[in-house]
Amino acid sequence: MIRALTTRRTDLAPFLLLLPAVAVMLFVVALPLLFSLWTSLTPYKLTKPASLYVFIGADNYLRLLSDPAFWVPFGRTVLFLTIALNLEFALGLGIALLINQITWGQRGLRTIMMFPMMFSPILVGFQFKFIFNDNIGILNNALQSLGITDQAIPWLVDGWLAMASILFAEMWMSTSVFAILLLAGLFAMPRDPVEAARVDGCNPWQVFRHITLPFLMPFAFIAMTIRSLDVARAYDIVKVMTGGGPAGRTELLWTLIARTGYENAQMGKANAMAYISTLLSIAFTVYFYRKLMAARRFMGGVQ
Amino acid sequence: MKRVRGMVLWVATFLLMVVMCVPGLWVILSAFRPNREILAKPPVWVPETLTLDNFGKIFGWGAEQIAIPVGSYFLNSMVIALTSTVIALGIGMAGGYAFARFRFRGKNSVFLGLMLLRTVPGIALSLPVFMLWSRLGIIDTKLGLIIVYVSLNVPFTIWLIDGFFRQIPLSLSEAAQVDGCTRWQAFWKIEFPLAKSGIASAGVFAFLTSWNEFALASQLTRSTDSKTLPVGLLDFTAQFTIDWAGMCAMAVIIIVPALILTFLVQKHLIAGLTFGGVKG
Amino acid sequence: MAEITLTGVEKRYGALRVVHGIDLTIAQGEFVVLVGPSGCGKSTTLRMIAGLEDISGGQVRIGGRVVNDLPPRKRNISMVFQNYALYPHMNVRDNLGFGLKIAGQTPDMIAKRVDEAAQILGLADLLDRTPAELSGGQRQRVAMGRAIVRHPDAFLFDEPLSNLDAKLRGQMRAEIKKLHQQVKTTVVYVTHDQVEAMTLADRIVVMRDGQIEQVGTPMQVFNHPANIFVATFIGSPPMNLLPGTISGGAVRLADGSAVPVPPRLTGRAAEGQAVTLGIRADDISPVGHGLSQDGPGAELDLSVVLAEPLGMESLIYTRVAGQEVQAKLYGPRLVNPGDRLTFRLALDRAHLFDAASGRSLEAI
Ligand SMILES: Nc1ncnc2c1ncn2[C@@H]1O[C@H](COP(=O)(O)OP(=O)(O)O)[C@@H](O)[C@H]1O
Ligand SMILES: [Mg+2]
Repeated sequence: MIRALTTRRTDLAPFLLLLPAVAVMLFVVALPLLFSLWTSLTPYKLTKPASLYVFIGADNYLRLLSDPAFWVPFGRTVLFLTIALNLEFALGLGIALLINQITWGQRGLRTIMMFPMMFSPILVGFQFKFIFNDNIGILNNALQSLGITDQAIPWLVDGWLAMASILFAEMWMSTSVFAILLLAGLFAMPRDPVEAARVDGCNPWQVFRHITLPFLMPFAFIAMTIRSLDVARAYDIVKVMTGGGPAGRTELLWTLIARTGYENAQMGKANAMAYISTLLSIAFTVYFYRKLMAARRFMGGVQ
Repeated sequence: MKRVRGMVLWVATFLLMVVMCVPGLWVILSAFRPNREILAKPPVWVPETLTLDNFGKIFGWGAEQIAIPVGSYFLNSMVIALTSTVIALGIGMAGGYAFARFRFRGKNSVFLGLMLLRTVPGIALSLPVFMLWSRLGIIDTKLGLIIVYVSLNVPFTIWLIDGFFRQIPLSLSEAAQVDGCTRWQAFWKIEFPLAKSGIASAGVFAFLTSWNEFALASQLTRSTDSKTLPVGLLDFTAQFTIDWAGMCAMAVIIIVPALILTFLVQKHLIAGLTFGGVKG
Repeated sequence: MAEITLTGVEKRYGALRVVHGIDLTIAQGEFVVLVGPSGCGKSTTLRMIAGLEDISGGQVRIGGRVVNDLPPRKRNISMVFQNYALYPHMNVRDNLGFGLKIAGQTPDMIAKRVDEAAQILGLADLLDRTPAELSGGQRQRVAMGRAIVRHPDAFLFDEPLSNLDAKLRGQMRAEIKKLHQQVKTTVVYVTHDQVEAMTLADRIVVMRDGQIEQVGTPMQVFNHPANIFVATFIGSPPMNLLPGTISGGAVRLADGSAVPVPPRLTGRAAEGQAVTLGIRADDISPVGHGLSQDGPGAELDLSVVLAEPLGMESLIYTRVAGQEVQAKLYGPRLVNPGDRLTFRLALDRAHLFDAASGRSLEAI
């Protein structure tokens, strides 16, 4: 009897320890997600409470699928994420390699590199709104006083320029995540394989391509996984910088959700969008998580 | 050849630092300058007047005052971020320990499940939470936001803390148990002290996430009693003329605690992320 | 100090069984070494004794008390881990005194016991250092000190020397032996190194695949291996094995040549039985260069394939019945590959194993 109890207890321990975590996630995330799934199947409007109980099946989804006002921001979001993550990775890799080369004052550089990471996305948005402002922004001010242009460049007013400005802000905020983690990877890298490759006659590019880069990939995927957990923070930036304007030309999925749900009170439709955006985030995360697992297996005993 | 290389490296690094720092520094600097100097055309590069007036305005000590209760927002942010961090750390320690120290069925699925629940975009989550919290009567309260922030922080805290515990050899806890400890004692006397700095950095990370969060807070808080600093920042844009200098001052108030905390734990943070992620 | 008894002790991980019903009694004050190839279940067995691993079946008793359901802290044992498991955030003094402190001993008592242990192990000057400031050998000593301060019923060692270099290992081996002679506590010691087992043990337990192959004193295990596995695992170089058949009072080898059945085994081998002849390199030597010249012997003309001079002796590789055999040549003398010499095989030190079961004919 005592025996059975003790064995059971050891078996239960991990579940008891995980219980609070699982409970909180179920209550605060999973349960609301169920609720929003239901809502997305109704024509619910905040202004018409009774509409929450009208089941319309997949109508909201079907309508979204045929609505360019949804598809365009959706496509823009995917494109934005793809470009941003790739550029951040490439830049972060460059920065990590650069800082890895520098011996004098490296610690200081590393600290400076962390600087943008501490900024709240809302602050990043505000900061670049302030800098890119066509009228009072320091950038236009500088360009004009240096005589590079006599016109105010409409950074946040022109659709393409605004998107590029947002991309810049996003990259400013997040490139460091890649740089820091890749740098940690470079520090953890054993010297032997590099030296062996050199002895085997590899030139620096070949060493990088065949030794350094594969070794860094797990670190890159950690960074990607971490980033994909909160890519949606770009919402804050866009919200402050352009609010989705001008004329919806910087509208991303997330700003569209907020507009539909809170400003237009169309909760049913907004929840359907939210579901799609959630699936998008999950797809990104799962993709990188699997890559991480594969890279880890590939590295096998090395790490 | 070597010299050229060195020069190129140096120039590249210099440019890098400029891009990394100048935007942030410009905002910080502007917080200490009067509006007319910030907005001057042509630009005044080197500050002529440095002043604390912008902060005075915000906190209501100066002659000039603004109608934005930054003090309350600051307090709300502190209370919400600290409380949710402490709770998330407790839950995260239990969960991280479970992942690091026990084998059990479905371990990977539970881990992945927790992570995936974390990926739900804030704004997407805010819709149902907004509706549910309204029904529960905790909309526009600190409590409502604290609960949400706990859930936001738990998965990542578990990831980090799992990594830190895994760096501690299991045999230390076993040795302590042979030496006469219960598993509970072994945890508090051996494993916890060794993971302390790592746990602290997980805490800082959680604090920063809560401190900086906007999407959820902007929908779940409305009143002076619960609004946080990032939400409050937008009060400026609602005004008739934007007070840029005031906004910069508020930005400084948001960034300074984050700066201090991050610098304190940066080393542990990187170690935690990479160990947790790379080592199987 | 206490006797440790294992009866039918088993360990299963799900369907996988890694320890298959072990029966073993370790007398009070005895030094028992569990030895076997890596993965054979030695650590698992030790950890079941310690209480760090659930016991899936059978019983473990320490000092007459069934401890199956007792947590490690209630078993009054101490353990030295392979990686030492010193608490990195405590100095040597606190590492040594930790167990006593947990047990609620007075500071005076703790100080006294710590000093005593430090004296025994020569740690007196290191008490204020942290583990990070110690060398491998010193860490090893602290781990042992931590085990002895509590005056436990038994010491459990799990490969304590495997992280040390060869020289230090020899030194620490001697110290462990001395320590045991001083404190006379029951010791269960796990290693995969047969030299360590031979030198330290009062009794050796040879394990394979979760089972006990033989239990005996080092000399018993070396001189009378119960089966082919023990014969090849204990001793270096491993015992030479030659397959053959019993025919007319001799072992007929693959090439038709014959070696007489050792006199002590006549009557135990049946005519026509398939057997394996086992002979250690030390017991097959060129005539006049062997260890034992008297007793029954068999002479074989063999040619040298390779000779490795080791100083006062040489290891000679030769072939018998198409199979490589290692022989020893004692006394300084040069031999060259291709030399043809007469070797003497000391029959009273040769072994016969049943080819089918691998068991020694002596044991049956
Ligand atoms: N947690 C486990 N799950 C499954 N098999 C295990 C586990 N721990 C150990 N084993 C297996 O048990 C066997 C015995 O391990 P161990 O006792 O550590 O061997 P050793 O004799 O080298 O100390 C090994 O084959 C090992 O693979
Ligand atoms: Mg072992």
